[in-house]
Amino acid sequence: MKSRCLVFAAAAFALGGGAAYAQGGCELKLGAMGPMSGGAAQWGLGMEAAATLAAAEVNAQGGLQVGDKKCHVTIISYDSKYTADGAAAGSNGLASQDIKFIIGPVGSPENTGIKPVAARNGQLAWNASYAKNALEAKYPLMFHIAPGPSAWADTLIKTAKQTFPMKSVALIAPNDQGGTDIVSVDAAAYRDNGVTTTEEYYQRGTTNFAPIITRVLALHPDVVDTASSPPGDAGVIIKQLRLAGFGGPIGRLGGPGTDEILRVAGGLDVVKNFYWFETVPTEDPKVRAIDDLYRKLVGKEPVGGTSFWADLPAARLTLKAISMAGTIDDVQKVAEVLRKLPVEDPNMGKGIWSGQKAFSINQELFFPFGVGIIKDGKNLGVKKVEPVM
Amino acid sequence: MQEFLQAAIIGVSLGAQYALLALGFTLIFGILGVVNFAHGGFYMLGGYVAYACVSGLGLPYPLAVLVAVLATAALGYLFELFMLERLVDDHLATLMLTLGLYLVISTGVLTVFGPLSMQFEFPVTGAVHAGPIYVPLENLIVLAVCSTAIVALYLVLFRTDLGRALRALADDRAVAMAQGLRPRLLFPLAFALATGLAGLTGALVTPILALSPGVGDPVLATSFLTVILGGLGSLGGAALAAFIVGIVEAYSSVYFGGSIGALVLFVLVLLLLVFRPTGLLGREIRGA
Amino acid sequence: MDVARDVRQSAGLARQGPLLGAAEIAALLIFAASFAIPLLTRSVLVYSVLNQILVGVVAALSVWIMLRMNLLSFATPTFMAIGGYTVAIAGQYDITDGFLLTAASFALPALVAVPLGALVLRLRGTYFVLVTFVLSQIMQLLLFETPGLTGGSNGIAGIPPVTLLGMELASNRAVLLFACFLALLATLITALLTRFFRQHFAAIEENEILAQSLGLVVWRYKALGFVVAAGIAGLAGFSLVNMLLTAHPSSFDSITAVDFIAYTIVGGRVSILGPIVGSTVLVWATNLFGTHGQYAQGLYGVLILVVVLAARGGIVGTVVTLLRRIRRAA
Repeated sequence: MKSRCLVFAAAAFALGGGAAYAQGGCELKLGAMGPMSGGAAQWGLGMEAAATLAAAEVNAQGGLQVGDKKCHVTIISYDSKYTADGAAAGSNGLASQDIKFIIGPVGSPENTGIKPVAARNGQLAWNASYAKNALEAKYPLMFHIAPGPSAWADTLIKTAKQTFPMKSVALIAPNDQGGTDIVSVDAAAYRDNGVTTTEEYYQRGTTNFAPIITRVLALHPDVVDTASSPPGDAGVIIKQLRLAGFGGPIGRLGGPGTDEILRVAGGLDVVKNFYWFETVPTEDPKVRAIDDLYRKLVGKEPVGGTSFWADLPAARLTLKAISMAGTIDDVQKVAEVLRKLPVEDPNMGKGIWSGQKAFSINQELFFPFGVGIIKDGKNLGVKKVEPVM
Repeated sequence: MQEFLQAAIIGVSLGAQYALLALGFTLIFGILGVVNFAHGGFYMLGGYVAYACVSGLGLPYPLAVLVAVLATAALGYLFELFMLERLVDDHLATLMLTLGLYLVISTGVLTVFGPLSMQFEFPVTGAVHAGPIYVPLENLIVLAVCSTAIVALYLVLFRTDLGRALRALADDRAVAMAQGLRPRLLFPLAFALATGLAGLTGALVTPILALSPGVGDPVLATSFLTVILGGLGSLGGAALAAFIVGIVEAYSSVYFGGSIGALVLFVLVLLLLVFRPTGLLGREIRGA
Repeated sequence: MDVARDVRQSAGLARQGPLLGAAEIAALLIFAASFAIPLLTRSVLVYSVLNQILVGVVAALSVWIMLRMNLLSFATPTFMAIGGYTVAIAGQYDITDGFLLTAASFALPALVAVPLGALVLRLRGTYFVLVTFVLSQIMQLLLFETPGLTGGSNGIAGIPPVTLLGMELASNRAVLLFACFLALLATLITALLTRFFRQHFAAIEENEILAQSLGLVVWRYKALGFVVAAGIAGLAGFSLVNMLLTAHPSSFDSITAVDFIAYTIVGGRVSILGPIVGSTVLVWATNLFGTHGQYAQGLYGVLILVVVLAARGGIVGTVVTLLRRIRRAA
C-alpha cells in the first residue's frame, strides 16, 4: 500500500514536471530554493526571480547551447521555509526530478541543512547565507553567491568613519544563526577600527523594539548598527530609535533591503544619518536595468528588493558553465568549468573569486559592492567599491 | 531611573495592544470553545485591508480602520458560519480548521501584496517629551482606542441582550439552548466580534510597527501567553494579564535583553500555572 | 453526537480483547514491510519522502498517546530536541552505537518528562495545550542560550554516522533502514502501552473525574503516558537528527508541533493507524507542494480544510465508519 502510494507520488512529480515542456528537444531543469513563505519570503522569491530571469534570457535565444543541442531551461522552485529540514527535503525533492543545479538556498539554517544532503545527491548549489561555514572544503559542489561581512565590514567601517566619527557602537540582531554569525564578525571589525562594541540580540518575531532600544540607549552608544536584522525589523528599530531621541548615525553591516528600511522607518527625514552595506552598487544604471529586463522577458513585476539582483549572476554563470562544459548531467565537470570562469556579469560588471581566506575554498562570487550614506537627511548615494581579496 | 520609567510607559502601551488581541482570542474560546489559530491571520489582514484602503482607495486613515474592522469581522462571520459551525463541538477539528485558514490567509496576502514591507504610516507621529522620558503620540492614540474598545466590549457583553445571550452560551451551552438561545445565530456573531477586534488591532498597530506577510506569526504566541496568564475565557483576566505581560516584557527586555527577557516571561507564566493552574482570574474550565 | 467516540467503539478499541488489536498488528506489519522499500528501490524521492514520513510517524505517535488521555500536547518538539541533541552531543564524544543511542534518546526525554509532568499534568484541556506550547518556546530559547552545549543558534553539524555492531550506517539506504527500525520500535512501544492500559486511558479520556471517583489512580497513568510519549518523541528527534546529520534549533521550532498534531488529527485519532496514515498523506503533500514555491503553504492549508471538513474523525475514522456502513448494508 505504502510503496504503491510512493510510486504514485513519484509519477505525479514526474508528470507535474514534465508536461509543460515536452517539445522533443533537450530540457534543462534548474532548482530555485529559499524561503518563499513567511517572514523571509522575499529572499527566496528573489532567488526564484533570478533563476527565472536567467532562464528566460537563454530561452529567448532559442535555448541554452549544450554540445550540439539547444536546451530549453525551466525553473522548479522549492519553498525551503528558512529551516534546515526544509532545505534538506528540498534538495531531495529536486533530486527526484533529476535536478542537479540549485540556485539557492538563502538562510543560514537552510545552508546547514542542505550541505550534506546536496553532497549526497551530487547537486551543485549556491547559497546566499552569511553563515560562518557558508562554504566548507569538504563540500566542493557548494558555491557562495556573495561574501559575508569578513570581506567587506572593514571597508564599510573605514568609509563610515570618514563621515561619522564614532567611538562606540551597539549592534542589534536576532538571536538565531542569521544574527549571531554576522554580528560577531561585524563587532570584531569595529574593534579592529578602534570602536568599542556591545551586542544585543532579540528574539526573532519581536515586533516592538522599544524595550530593547531603551536598553541599548542606556549605554549611550555613538552609533547603533542593525546588522542582519530583517529589513522590516530594521525599519522599526530605526523609527523607534529616532522616536526615543537618538540622534546619532545608524549603521547596517548586514543584508540588503535599504529601500524597504526607508519605507518602514518613514523616509529620509526619519532615518537622517545612515550608512549601509549594499550587496550590489544599486545606483549603477546597469544594475537598475535588471528590473526592466525582467519585466520584458518574464512579463511580470519583479519581486522587489536588491537580493534578486545579487542572485542573478550566480544563475547566469551556472548556465554559462553548463553550456561550456557541454553537459547537463556531469555536475563535476560543470563545477570544474565554473571554478575557472571569469567572474563577469553583463549587469554587475567584473568581480573575483574569493572565499579562500574565510572558508579555505575559493568558490565565492565577489562582485563590486556598495557603501551607502545618508547624511542629515540627504541621500549621498551608494558608492561602488571594487572587490579586493 | 530613567529606564525604569520608560519601561513602564512601554509596558503599558504594549499591554493595550496585547489586550485587544487577547480579548478576542479568549472570547472565541470562552463562547465557542475554539482555540483560534487564525487570530494572527486576522490581525495581519486588518493591517493589509487598512493599508489597501489608504494607499489604494485614498480613504482617510480612521475610515480605513473601520473598513478593516468590518472586513475582518465579515470574514470571521462567514468562516464560522460555513466551516467552523459544522464541527464546532470537535475541539481538535476546529483547531485544524483555524490552522488551515491561517495558512490560506498568509499565502493570500503574500500573493496579493508581495513579500516586502509596505509603506504604511500612522497619520500622527512624534512624541511628548518630559526630560529624558518620552511617550510616542501614536501609542497614546492606540491606548485610547484600546481602552474605548475594551469598555465598549464590556458594555456589549454585560449591558445588552446579545451580550447576555453570549455569556449564557459560554457558561452552559445546554442550559442556554434549553432557554431558547440559538447558537447558530450567535456563534458567528461572537466569532465576528473577536476577529473584528484582531483586525482593529492590526489596522492600528501595523502602521506604527511594520506591515509584512510575517506579522501574524508572533500574535498567536502572545495571545496564548496572555490568556493562559489571565485565565481562559475570562475577559477581565485577559485584560489584566495583557498589561502584566506587556510590563514584564518591557522590564525584562530592558534589564536582561531581548532573548533572556522572553525566557523570563515564559518561565514566569509556567511558574504561575504551577501555583494557580486556572490563571489569574480563570475558573475551572471544561475539558477541551 | 461525538463521532470520534462512536467510531472508536465501532473500531472495537473500547472493548476487551487480545493484547494487540487488529489496528496495532496492521501498524506493526506496515513498518515491518517498510524495511523492504529501501531494498526494492533506489529512488531519491522515495528515500527522502519515506524518511520524512518515518520521522513524522514517530512524532505523531507521541501526540497520539497524549490524545488517548484527551490531552493535546505541543511539547513534542521539546522532547524531540532533547532526544536529538542527546545523540548529537554523544556523537561529539564518538559515542555512535545505535542501540545505546536509541536507549539514550528514549530515556533522557522520558527522565526530563518526570518533573515536567508533575508540573503540567495538573492542567487539563486548553490550559494543557497552551502550557505545552510555552514549553516548546522555552526549549528554543534554552537552545540559543546554551551555545557551549548545544552549539547555540548554529546547532551541531557533522554528526558521525550511527554504528550498529561495528557497521557504519552512513549510506542513504542504511539511514532509512535505521529510521524504519526506530518507527517499528516506537509503534511497538505505543501499541503495547495503549493496549495494555487501554481501559484506563479510555476511562480518563471519557471522563477523568468519574474515573477518579471510581478509584482509578488517574495521575499514575497520565504520568506514565506523558513519560512514554516523551520517550517516543525523543526517538523521533533521533531519527530526524540522523536523517539531517545535523541538530539545528530550527528543526525543533515550536510551530513544528502543529504539523505533528495535524498528522494525528487528519489521519484520525481513533486508532493507531491514524497517525501513520496522517503522516504519510501530509508529508507526501508537503513534498508535492514544496515545488509550488510561495503557494506551498496555502495548498497545505486548503488540504487540511478539505480533509477536516470532508472526513470527520480523520481519514481512518471515516474509512472505519464507511466500512461499518457497508457491512451493515450487506
